[in-house]
Amino acid sequence: MTPDYATARADIIDGIRAFRVWTRLGWQEVKRRYRRTFFGPFWATLSIGAFIGGMVFIWAPLFKTDVSSYLPFLATGLVSWTFATALISEGCGTYTAGVALITQLKFPYTVLNFMVVWRNVIVFFHNVVIVVIVVIALRIPVNWHTLLLFPGIIIVAVNGAWMTILFGMVSARFRDVPPLVGNVIQILMFVTPIFWFSSQLGPGAQPIVTYNFMYHLVEVMRAPMLGMAPSLLSYAFTIAGAIVGWLVTFDLYARFRRRIPYWL
Amino acid sequence: MGYSTLTSIVASNLTIDFPIYGSSHRSLRQTLFARTGGLIRHERAGRQQRVVVRALDDVSFTLRNGDRLGLIGHNGAGKSTLLKVIAGVYTPDAGSIRIEGRVSPLFNSAPGLDPDDNGYENIKTCGMFLGMSSEEIDRKLLDIVDFCELGEYLDLPVRTYSTGMVARLGFAIATAIEPDILLLDEGLGAGDARFAARAEARMQSLIQRTRILVLASHSDAMIKSMCNRAILLEKGRLIAIGPVDEIINRYHQRPAEVHVA
Repeated sequence: MTPDYATARADIIDGIRAFRVWTRLGWQEVKRRYRRTFFGPFWATLSIGAFIGGMVFIWAPLFKTDVSSYLPFLATGLVSWTFATALISEGCGTYTAGVALITQLKFPYTVLNFMVVWRNVIVFFHNVVIVVIVVIALRIPVNWHTLLLFPGIIIVAVNGAWMTILFGMVSARFRDVPPLVGNVIQILMFVTPIFWFSSQLGPGAQPIVTYNFMYHLVEVMRAPMLGMAPSLLSYAFTIAGAIVGWLVTFDLYARFRRRIPYWL
Repeated sequence: MGYSTLTSIVASNLTIDFPIYGSSHRSLRQTLFARTGGLIRHERAGRQQRVVVRALDDVSFTLRNGDRLGLIGHNGAGKSTLLKVIAGVYTPDAGSIRIEGRVSPLFNSAPGLDPDDNGYENIKTCGMFLGMSSEEIDRKLLDIVDFCELGEYLDLPVRTYSTGMVARLGFAIATAIEPDILLLDEGLGAGDARFAARAEARMQSLIQRTRILVLASHSDAMIKSMCNRAILLEKGRLIAIGPVDEIINRYHQRPAEVHVA
């Protein structure tokens, strides 16, 4: 397929410019979850909270740590993980969910991608409530490092944007991909230090953590929430991931964007 | 909105192929193992065959300011596909299409309509997808609200509307646009009889504001009343282009078999 870089670039730029459309659509989706329910999107928060509240008393002794140091680690890690992986798993459905629009109208498809990212940023800020409660209850230090959460969110969102385009395209063409991705994410959750500390792994197995891209995505958000600065390695991985990811996605988008309506 | 001095559509040798992905062909398994399969069967049949439907075949025409084009043909002749190519939904595999002017496809009067949102929210969402800016929607809001006559229903979720009420809302939004090029597939539905009369007038005024109209329809009366030129399509090919009456006559002289593409 001959790449059409001009169209792909125009699509992305027009998509960014249409921020009023996708911020609105993202909000609208979150608002819909509030309708006729009392907690709305907070149901997801409650479920994560209940999971953490229940598991912390089993895993803290299991991993030989005390609850007061394990709880904040688990809470911040799980909230960050949920955000990062939702971008991938919900990204798979970006174009298949937009079928009515894509097969009827000409518009920058990236509007749909940015909408998915924006919606998940909003959901993330719902889930952060858990972290705030834990931070207040356990007097976790709030300092300048905490502010690094915001660049962390931006880095993850920029990565999330290319992921929703890439996974959205592949999933539109190959319908096996969404369930496959769901399975892989589930396995990765146990391979990534969310429930256990990377230090507990022992020196021989450290590469499992060091080369785990998902770990670094989590880390640029988790560390600030724990009042610490993320390592330079995590920034290197996630920023390089954003650059390489966008370049590869851009090339594929230029090649296959025009096929998307045919696949749906 | 920009009124370009020149509104035109130039299609040259347009060709559109739809690859048909069966549920099994589309799967990853098939593609992963197709290579192997291909190699093994390489002596017998060569590459695995894919079903491809040629929806448009070498179609060329030019439309300018003031043209009202009717698309005539049996089911599956390529009318809707041609509209969608003009709309920019499908990019042609071969040939090209050049369009000057803002295109407004009204295939679905309310794109992005969400039944859980209320009327006002849907006016915004649909308006955005029909290509209106926020300011434009705000400017047109009163007109849309007045025309659809839904009153306090606009504060309620659209799922509580009757079918006719949804049609009214969609029609009111869709006809508020300021298109250079208007694309219609079988016209727009518009609720009960009294509303239909008002809708007719509003539709006429929209068409008068439009520089180029392309309409696909099976209704001779509709094409005769709205168009000044027509194209006869058959199995994706352009058979004839010319004055409406002549093309309609030709259409009726041809064998009336239904071509399922």
